[in-house]
Amino acid sequence: MVSSLGNFTLWLSLLFAIFQFVISHKKNFYSVLQFNKIAVNGLLFCSLVSFFSLMYCHIVSDFSVVNVFQNSHTTKPLLYKVSGVWGNHEGSMLLWILVLTIFNYFIFKLYNQKNIIFISKTLETQAIITIGFLLFTILTSNPFDRMITSHTNGLGFNPLLQDPALAIHPPLLYIGYVGFSAAFSFSVAAMSINIEEKIPWHSYMKPFVLAAWIFLSAGIAFGSIWAYYELGWGGWWFWDPVENASFMPWLLGTALVHSLITIEKRKSLQSWVLLLSILSFLLSVIGTFLVRSGILTSVHTFALDPTRGIYILTFVALLGGYSLILYGLKSKNFLNRYYFSFFSREGSILVNNIIMIVVCASVFLGTIYPLLVEIFSNNKISVGEPYFNSVTIPIMMPAILVMGMGPMLSWGKADVIGILTKSLPSILLAVVISCIFFWIYRSYNMLGLAGIVLAFWIMSNILLTTVRQLIVKNKEFNQEIIPKYSSGMIIAHLGVALLILGITGSSIWQKEKIIRMKVNDETSIHNYNIVFKEISEVTGPNYVALQGNFWVYNNKKNIITKLKPENRFYHVTNNSTTEASIHTNLARDLYVVLGNGDVNEGWIVRIYYNPLVVWIWIGAFAIFLGGLFSMKNNFQKLKRLSI
Amino acid sequence: MKKGILISPIILFFLILLVFFYLLIIDRNPSELPSMLINKKVPTFEAELLLEDKIFISPGEFRNETTLVNFFATWCKPCFDEHPYLKKLSDERGLKIIGINYKDDSKRAVKWLEKLGNPYSNVLLDPNARLGIDWGVYGLPETFIVNSDGVIKYRLVGPITKKNYDAFVLKVKEVEK
Repeated sequence: MVSSLGNFTLWLSLLFAIFQFVISHKKNFYSVLQFNKIAVNGLLFCSLVSFFSLMYCHIVSDFSVVNVFQNSHTTKPLLYKVSGVWGNHEGSMLLWILVLTIFNYFIFKLYNQKNIIFISKTLETQAIITIGFLLFTILTSNPFDRMITSHTNGLGFNPLLQDPALAIHPPLLYIGYVGFSAAFSFSVAAMSINIEEKIPWHSYMKPFVLAAWIFLSAGIAFGSIWAYYELGWGGWWFWDPVENASFMPWLLGTALVHSLITIEKRKSLQSWVLLLSILSFLLSVIGTFLVRSGILTSVHTFALDPTRGIYILTFVALLGGYSLILYGLKSKNFLNRYYFSFFSREGSILVNNIIMIVVCASVFLGTIYPLLVEIFSNNKISVGEPYFNSVTIPIMMPAILVMGMGPMLSWGKADVIGILTKSLPSILLAVVISCIFFWIYRSYNMLGLAGIVLAFWIMSNILLTTVRQLIVKNKEFNQEIIPKYSSGMIIAHLGVALLILGITGSSIWQKEKIIRMKVNDETSIHNYNIVFKEISEVTGPNYVALQGNFWVYNNKKNIITKLKPENRFYHVTNNSTTEASIHTNLARDLYVVLGNGDVNEGWIVRIYYNPLVVWIWIGAFAIFLGGLFSMKNNFQKLKRLSI
Repeated sequence: MKKGILISPIILFFLILLVFFYLLIIDRNPSELPSMLINKKVPTFEAELLLEDKIFISPGEFRNETTLVNFFATWCKPCFDEHPYLKKLSDERGLKIIGINYKDDSKRAVKWLEKLGNPYSNVLLDPNARLGIDWGVYGLPETFIVNSDGVIKYRLVGPITKKNYDAFVLKVKEVEK
């Protein structure tokens, strides 16, 4: 019953979306507003009902629905029954559509007397996107398809996905991807309307881009946390095609967020921003569906179906063709002959943009290179970590260098000597802190040195600018002299510094030990002694597990913690996963994984000493928080604009 | 000049899409891997047999007829699913199939073959994965088609299933020609 309701509302959403598309052409303000109100609210309501219908089917384990039968099982805990809704291709499409209609609703809310044509055009483009995805879902991957035969239980689930971090990872990621659709639509609308309208389209775009960007950042962070805790390989980033698919839009989004600030202040880079916002969305869609079409294989792949790939690529070709041809024709209206100096705020943002694009292009090339090789020769190759690391890290370094200094520069002015004297204190501070750091850790490595110095370079700059700003505030100086900084920027940049600290620490100074251990065996890793005390069997909700008990002592023979890694076996799906056990503090993680083995031979145990990992998560959180602040400010600005 | 730059994104975009379309349309299996061993002679090795007290010597035994080499183990679920199709190949087509029992317990392997039937003309023991390394195996099951001159012509990673059975038979026929 409920599944029929879900199916019905899914079709109804399609009708509302078509209605929204048709109605947005009207020129009469009153009728457009009234009809669109019906269309947008109807669309939102129907997709909500449809989504929660599927969730209901998963919760009550309604195995008459193919999607539930294939992806669920009565033994699954409730949380994972809920997250199972988007843990498969069909359900995730429903979530994608829901997020799309929510963004649609927020765009609708921006209507006022002045922007009627602009917002109508945006809603029209959003309607096209929504129709495309609805048709895709209904025709090729309908989650409400019914079973012909009945079953008492489902086929199961992927135990690797049974993890809290992975339960919220896809929704966050989709908010990011789909959020860029708003930027795409605004961009198309800005190019379609008469230039004389003088709509500040970038102010409309900015809060949406920020929203997409921060959710994408959070989504990527949760994906990494999942990989770190669940995969048991001691790492958190593997340059898998799916990871790249989320990283590339993030890079473009980063460039977009920064160049939008430049437009706001200097009215330059307009045509560039239009292009970036189109590309961010296209790349989000292409990346996501490349992996699902089966062109690229990946550990995350859930659907291998070429017809779906052809549908979605055709759709992307239409969207991309339309928007990029429009760009080719109209963007010259947005070009300006205003060139600017390298040593200015906008100069540093331009450098940041170029570097982000270059990194994005390199990652893209690395991701599709195996495909190109396959077309032009008969070989199959795979491009892995060494390529990505050796290409992206050296390109990123100058970006980080500029990032530290950029916020201190003024808009438009080029005062090289002034800048040098201004940044001298931060250079000194960064050097001093780095020296203290290395004096404590006493471990030297060129790449490590560079990473640590860069991280402290950003931190010193942030610290000094904040102090300067406080002094200015107290003395109520003429505010023109020193540019104002938004709290969002300061927090987000601090987040990046912490992120670099964590990435450097965990990748350069990681220690790994793989040994075979029997009960009561002892081993050591970086000043810690680890004793394998016992092994026992434990039972979980839908698995049984072997649980090792490892006691960790420091070099003063004091016990620090007891680590209990598990080796879980899931009866239903007949496979096993490892559950790493991790002890975290601000300086390092101790990470133990229990592998295969038996009583006579002993068990294979992998032990990692991962310095500074926790700062990656803290840094990502700070970036998220900073973005949130900035987004709030920009929505308020937008509100003032419409009054 | 300026205009040229502005239309370059669309050109690049369609070139990339063209690549993707091409890959989607052509008949292509991403899990099919070429092997360095294709068109090479079978590796030279000696191995103990599971069911007889004899030594198997390669490449001496790969002569005169097309032979399949199948890596399997009792702990491997897909191998279990694949087994009926190997039986079919040996019963219906009279193919010579050499089984390599990879990293397995030989007592269990004997029981397994007793229960499911034995499609293999010889079952070789490979408890330490030495043969697996020689043949470049990285996952079970894997099947190689070796022609009558002892040259490896085809490699299938993963099981023979209902879906790919006919295609596999075609490959065997091609090699037999």
